[in-house]
Parts: sequence; structure tokens; C-alpha cells
Amino acid sequence: MWVKLEVLLQTLLSGVYLGGLYALIGIGMTLILGVMKIINLTHGQLMMVAMYIAFWLFEILHIDPYVTLFIAPPLLFIFGMGLQKWLIDPVLRVESILPHNQVILTVGIGMVLTNVATIAFTGNYRSTPVDYASKAYYLTDLWRNAPIELSFSLPWTVSFVLAVAITTALWYFLAKTDTGKSIRATAQDRDAALLMGVNVGRMRMITFGLGSALVAAAGCLFLPIYYLFPSLGSQFTLIAFVITILGGMGSTMGAIVGGLILGIFESVTATYIGMGWAPVGRFVVFIAALVFLPGGVASLLKRRSYVK
Amino acid sequence: MRKLWLALVACLAFGLTAGAAFAENVEFSIPLPLTGTNAKFGEIEKRSYEMAMAEINAKGGIKGKTVVLRFEDSQGKPEISRSIAEKIIDVNKQPIVFGEYSSSSSKAVAAVAEERKTPYVVVTGASDDITQQNYKYVYRICPSNAYYAVGLMSFLETVVKPKSIAILYESSDFGTSGADEMAKSAEKVGIKVLLKEKYEKGAVDFKPVLSAVKAANPDVIYMVSYVMDASLLMRQIKELRIDSKLFAGGAAGFAIPEFVENSKDAAEYVVTATLWSPQLPFPGTKEFAEGYKTKHGAYPSYHGAEAYATMYLIKDVLERAATWSSEDITKALAATDMTTAFGPIKFESKDGYQNQNFMETFVLQVIKGKHETIWPEKYASAKYMFPIPSWRDRK
Repeated sequence: MWVKLEVLLQTLLSGVYLGGLYALIGIGMTLILGVMKIINLTHGQLMMVAMYIAFWLFEILHIDPYVTLFIAPPLLFIFGMGLQKWLIDPVLRVESILPHNQVILTVGIGMVLTNVATIAFTGNYRSTPVDYASKAYYLTDLWRNAPIELSFSLPWTVSFVLAVAITTALWYFLAKTDTGKSIRATAQDRDAALLMGVNVGRMRMITFGLGSALVAAAGCLFLPIYYLFPSLGSQFTLIAFVITILGGMGSTMGAIVGGLILGIFESVTATYIGMGWAPVGRFVVFIAALVFLPGGVASLLKRRSYVK
Repeated sequence: MRKLWLALVACLAFGLTAGAAFAENVEFSIPLPLTGTNAKFGEIEKRSYEMAMAEINAKGGIKGKTVVLRFEDSQGKPEISRSIAEKIIDVNKQPIVFGEYSSSSSKAVAAVAEERKTPYVVVTGASDDITQQNYKYVYRICPSNAYYAVGLMSFLETVVKPKSIAILYESSDFGTSGADEMAKSAEKVGIKVLLKEKYEKGAVDFKPVLSAVKAANPDVIYMVSYVMDASLLMRQIKELRIDSKLFAGGAAGFAIPEFVENSKDAAEYVVTATLWSPQLPFPGTKEFAEGYKTKHGAYPSYHGAEAYATMYLIKDVLERAATWSSEDITKALAATDMTTAFGPIKFESKDGYQNQNFMETFVLQVIKGKHETIWPEKYASAKYMFPIPSWRDRK
């Protein structure tokens, strides 16, 4: 009986860890979607770029990926702002048959990034084998006679804690600072914000930069846990998209909850149904969200607040 | 004036091509995954082919002709391997085809070669069914997946004597056939298969399935993976502190130095089946291994040895064949009986396989961060470590 409990708890723990990472990846995309109303399909590729920066800093200068947390996100922030100003905004302004040109544009940017990385860095797998990569803390370290053993992996724990910290900082930024409020205003109603004196163009740039920086942070946290190759981006773009839909487009709280739900669902599917079914589980959640809860988790949260 | 220029260019072009036709070269195009997920192995094989080519050319080439190699990138995708093979046979009219790394790609090339009645030597593709299809023109030098673990099974039965086993494998041809084979062999000797779980290559988090493995408490955990998955699996096994009596890999990802680099201390004491190691006593093995290490900084994996030996096999076959027609080359292939740096090559048809090289396989163990050959003991470079210490007791 204890054995079954141990498997369940370890699975849930893995799910929460995974969910935290997923949430951080998803938040960037949902922010961009909320403010700019475009689906950023190059999201995963931006993460890949950040991971390569972290990798090369580790290889050449022996800088730990967690230290790169202070270097790569600012770089990606500037890169994101640049992308918005010089590529996405001009396309947005052009009247054309397809109103969703920007989506196709982001797909194109993603492909360019992936292929440049393949040419520049080859398709070889890269990794940063840091000393603490497989270090873990155990329940039995604290509680000698525990009937079960739970393992808390160091890199995953650090990643989760920092993801929470970053998300809290983001919430503070959006809720309390002027720029944050301007961003939310732009998301709510672009024209009204414009009339109120918000520099909408700059807010859009900052948002894209911020979204890129957030996914860059996720990349730095992820690098010690996994490994790196140029086509890494696409699976994470997909995950970010699922979380965005699940959480409700534009809702940061929804992205957090959505990420956790997805992470736990995938872990539970992997243990009790089979590891091969985890990606299937992801899509089941995605379709279920679209069919039964189109507004995402955010709509559930909103409903609650209306009732109050 | 224009017409004069054109005439001059035409003469030059004619002269050059005529010149090329008269130069004594024999060209081979070799499909390999030079980009994509298996790029690492494609690179090892390319370097090994080149080493063998340089040596063969230094000794006069094949029947006096200089060997020239061209490498075509299949990106690890069987569809692309297929079209490269079609080009090599239909356009280049190459008399014998060889190359490719993965089982899926080798299978694709084998199908094309058989269709077009051109001999094809399978170098590293190990999935059993490649030489079980009654193909006349396909010959394989590497043991099939079923036989990969023969050496390992002997080690398990003689030393470890496990009662139960859990099998984790990646979902492509290689993983599936390796896992099926291990399950069959285990059942045959009375080892109970507690769990047989497949995963998608590139998975991030194995902990859910590993928790289930831990709960089942098998004596041996057997994994068939390519390198990054192998590293992640061992690292996560270490994190969960799963104390099985032995961790065993089915070659591929477990048998190359990158495994140790990426898993660090989690790789210690892991054993793996392998087809070759630099420490074996075949003629040319040590020279090849040391030569490769000097040139490229690390020992080659068994895939490198297979590629190197294939180049020598091609030389041997083309020199023995009466002519370079498909039929004569195939006859020469069938009559092959040579020892290479990879090991003995003699193609036999038995046990449902056709034109297969049956070879002994060996077992490596990571001891003090290095792969050592531990079994059969007559080839061992170090004594095996068994029983292994639990995770908590390792420093």
C-alpha cells in the first residue's frame, strides 16, 4: 500500500515540477497573445536561442546556466523588442487578404531561427553536464523513518522555485507598476488605451520583449535538466500553445493553473497508462479545453468573481 | 567573338570531363545521417570510412584505382535515405552500395537495393527483420538485434543470476526489436519480465515510469536507448535512488563515451551489450582505435569500427569479384571469409536470417568513468564489478 502511495506522490511531484516549467513557458505566450492578439509560434524557438546562449557561455566561459538567468533573458528581451519593431509591426500595418499574417510571420521566424542554429551549431545534441545535474534531496533525509521515499531533484526544485519567483515578480510588475498597468490596458482595449495616452506601440514592443525574456528564463532553467538541439523549439511552442488555450488567452493566472494541470495530467498519464501516451494526453486536454471550456481556466476564475 | 568563347568553353568542359574519365578513381557515395538526431554517429562513421579510405589508397587503392568517397546526408530520415539510394544506383550506377546508420534507414536502402538487384552491405542497422526478408542482395556485417545481447545474457546467467527484469525502450525499430529480443531471451532462461515500457525518443521526464519501475523492484533494469535518453534515464534513476542489482543497456547510446560525459557519476557500474571495443585482440583493432583517438580526440564507438571494416570488406569483395556486375559482386560477398578490425566477417544463412554475419558480442562496464570490456572474460580488460553499491553508499 505504501508502495502505491509512493508511486502516486512521486508522480504528482514530477507533475508539479513539470507544470511549473510549463507555466513559465506558457505565460510568455499568453501575455503576447493578450496584448498583441497574435499567436507567437516562434515561442519555443526563442527558448532554443536562449538555451544556446546559455550552452555556449557554459562551454567557453564555464558560466553556470543559472547565472545565465541574468544574461540571456535581457538579451532575448532586446531581441524580442527588435523582432516586434522591425518584423512584426510592419507586417501588422499592411492591409492584406489574410488578417493573420503575423501568425505566418512568426512561423517563418521560427523556421529561420531553427535552421540558422542547425547550420551554425550542427544538429548534434549539446548538454551542460553540471555537477548538480542528478543531485536530489530525499524525504528520508529529513524524516528518518518515513514509510516512503520521495526524491526532490535539485535542478527541478531550483527551476520550480525560480519559476514561482519570476511569476510573482511578473504579477507585481503587471499589477502595481505604471508600465504594467499600461500593458494590461492595451490588452483590454487598444483604442481606449490609446485615447488614454498610453504609448501603445511601445507597450507592444515591451510585451513581446517580456514574453521572449520569460521563455528565455525557462530555457536557462531547463538546460541542466535536459539537453539541447536546434529543433527543440517546436515541441515547446506546441506546449505553450496548449497552455495558452487551456488557461485562457491572455490570462496569466490561467497560464499558471493551466501549466500545472497539464504537467500533472501528463505525469499521471505516463505512470498509469503508459509513457507513450503522455503526448496523447496533452492533446486530449487541448481538445477538451477547446470543446468544453473555450475560455479556458480564466473563464472559470472570472465566473467565480462575478458570483461573488 | 561570342561563338569563339562558347567553343573554347565547350572544349575545356570536354577536356575536363574526358580527363576525369581517364583518371583512375573508383567513387562511392555513402548515405549517412550527417545532421539530425543521429548526427553524432554519422560523423563517427564518416571519419572511420575516411580513415580506411586513406589507408587503402596509401597501399594502392582497389585494383590500382584510388578510392574517392562522397557522403550524402540523409538527416536520419528513411525517406531521404531511400531517394539517396535510388540516386546512387540509378544515376551513379555504383556497383555496390553500403552505408546508413539507423535500422529504419538501412531498411529503406535495403528495399531499394533489392528492387534494383544491386548488392547492399548493411553496416550498423541492427533490426532483425532486415536480413529476414529472403533478400538476395542484402548482406549485413553487424549482428542483428537479437544477437546483440548474447554476451550480456551470458554475463547475466553466469554472474548476476537475476530473477526479474524491467525493460525500458525507445519506440523506433531499434528499441522495439531490442526490447522484444530481451523479453524473449529472459523468459527462456526463467527471468520474469516485470515491466516492458516504451517511450518516445526525446522524452523529458522519465520519473513517472521510473517510479513504477522502482515499485516493481526488478533485479535488473534493461534499457534500449540512444545516447541522450540513456543519460537522462541513468540520471533520473540515480535521483530516484532505484537500487536494482544491475543496470544494463542494449548497446547504442550506452556504449559510447558521451554517455559517461553526460551522466557523470550516474553512469558508474552500468553494463552494456556491445559489438566491439578498442581492447579486442583482432588484427588492426588497436591500430584503428588508437589512430582514431589520436586524430579525433576520443575512441571510436563500435559504429566506427563497423564502418572502417566495411571499407575493407568492399575492397576485399571488389578485388575478388570476377567482374563488377551485380551478380559477380554478390557471389564474391557470399564467399567472404575475412577478419577485420571489427571482427570476423563470414556471411551465413541460418535461423531464419539470410546473408548475416554472426559474431560474438561483448559486455562493457563503466568503471571509474571509463568503458572497460568485462565479458567474456577472455577478452576482458578489467574485472567486472558485481554486486554494485547502492546509490546511498556511493560517494
